[in-house]
Amino acid sequence: MNVLRSCVKTIILSNGVRSVNHEGPRYIKRWVAPTQKILTKLKKSLGEQPEPKRNTFLEWNRSAEIYAFNERLSESFNTEKLEQAFTHKSYLIQEEQRQKEMEIETPVLAIQDNAELIRKGEKLTSEIVQTYLVQVLPEASEDIIISLHDYLLSEEILAKAAFHIGTKDIILTEAIAQKTLADTFLALVAALAESVDVNHTANFVRDFLIVILAEKDLTEVWNPAHPVELLNDVLRKQNRSPAEPRLIAQAGKNTLEVAYNVALYCDKEFLGSGFGQTIQEAKNTAAMNVLSRIFGLLDSNKPIKFNKTINLSS
Amino acid sequence: MSNKYLFLNSGFPRAPFGLGIGRYVCQLQRITLKFCKNRGGSRGIRGFIEHDLVNYARENPGVVVYVKPRRHRQPVIVAEYLNGDNQWMEVANYSREDVVKWMELLRTQFHNGPSLRWRKLWHTEFPSIQGPWTPFTFRNPMLNLVQLPNKEFGAAVKLGPTATEQLVELFKAQQLADKAVNDSCQNVEETSVHVQRT
Repeated sequence: MNVLRSCVKTIILSNGVRSVNHEGPRYIKRWVAPTQKILTKLKKSLGEQPEPKRNTFLEWNRSAEIYAFNERLSESFNTEKLEQAFTHKSYLIQEEQRQKEMEIETPVLAIQDNAELIRKGEKLTSEIVQTYLVQVLPEASEDIIISLHDYLLSEEILAKAAFHIGTKDIILTEAIAQKTLADTFLALVAALAESVDVNHTANFVRDFLIVILAEKDLTEVWNPAHPVELLNDVLRKQNRSPAEPRLIAQAGKNTLEVAYNVALYCDKEFLGSGFGQTIQEAKNTAAMNVLSRIFGLLDSNKPIKFNKTINLSS
Repeated sequence: MSNKYLFLNSGFPRAPFGLGIGRYVCQLQRITLKFCKNRGGSRGIRGFIEHDLVNYARENPGVVVYVKPRRHRQPVIVAEYLNGDNQWMEVANYSREDVVKWMELLRTQFHNGPSLRWRKLWHTEFPSIQGPWTPFTFRNPMLNLVQLPNKEFGAAVKLGPTATEQLVELFKAQQLADKAVNDSCQNVEETSVHVQRT
């Protein structure tokens, strides 16, 4: 045992198991605060600086970025089409200007801009969105489909979709704005349609654009100003008499917490009810309730499916 | 909580733009490894670059990997995410195994994790499918069939015994007690009479 102990001792001494946790001084040096103050002052005096562009950094490889973009989305874009979809007209104009400044008489640029793709993409995206919504919301009226379609194709949502698939740094343009991002998404849709086919593109649009509806209250997007008149129109089309509102309950009249409960009846049949702080408000809520029940948009309805495929013949 | 967290952004766990509803997209878009070629602090990250980096890049074709050697600076990993977040972390004196683990963490998270304090660990966009509560929400369904005015439903809500009822109760209890005392008195008198007779 003693031998073993001495052996261990010699090993420890020879290898030198000394503390490696060297700690520096546990205070902040006296020069740090004044230096930081001066630096902050200088920064403030410069004013607001533009955000540094990622594609002007030293560590930037455009072809690797384009390749990774394709792989990330597990898509099969044609690389040339993809390059074209990312090139905006403003970039080409800027490049030409630059070449002229460098005294090149006839500036030649080997790339095309995406104006054509944007035009095609807008048409195609609109068609895909409309077809898909009609398929997943079979009971919804044309009015609802149009408002959801307009919401999805609004610049804000398109820009958000484009941003979240990582196009922001790859786009070639003069200055990036919401419009540029939205246009890029449309151009990408057209580029994918030309690279593969329309039905494959429909899956792309579904997975990266229509999906936003999953976390959205649909009656927030489709919000008619006069729901009672709309409900009466719907009932008239079904050859039924107009809805008749009845006050079925009220509580806390002449107080701050007043609540009215209005039910709508048609041919002595209960359609639905709603609440409100005034009778008019309760009537509108009731009409919205009935309409969303008719069109299948109630909170308790099954959510929209996002795994359907659509067939576009073109 | 120390001062460091005072100005930390806070939020709820949210999936970025429908991630997981459509298809899965790796949220890490590019990662930059900055290191020094001869300083000891960069040893772990150099080991990673030598042995594991090629496999890492091959397994994740959607992540652009940049390697940036710079002389006599601390080793740093910068991860950039699709939602615009950047995570900068210093990896001086990290072992190769540590760097492997951190690279895996950076790949699997969806934003700059340490820069957000969770307010709650769950969140929903649809808190209720029943709608908001109103005074009529859980009404007794018997009311639907009853003929109004109705004595039973129209009566005031009775919560406990009234003061009058309590008084009556007290009075009755007192009467009972008095009666019991009188009875016991009579018994005592009868027995004394009996004793005298004998």
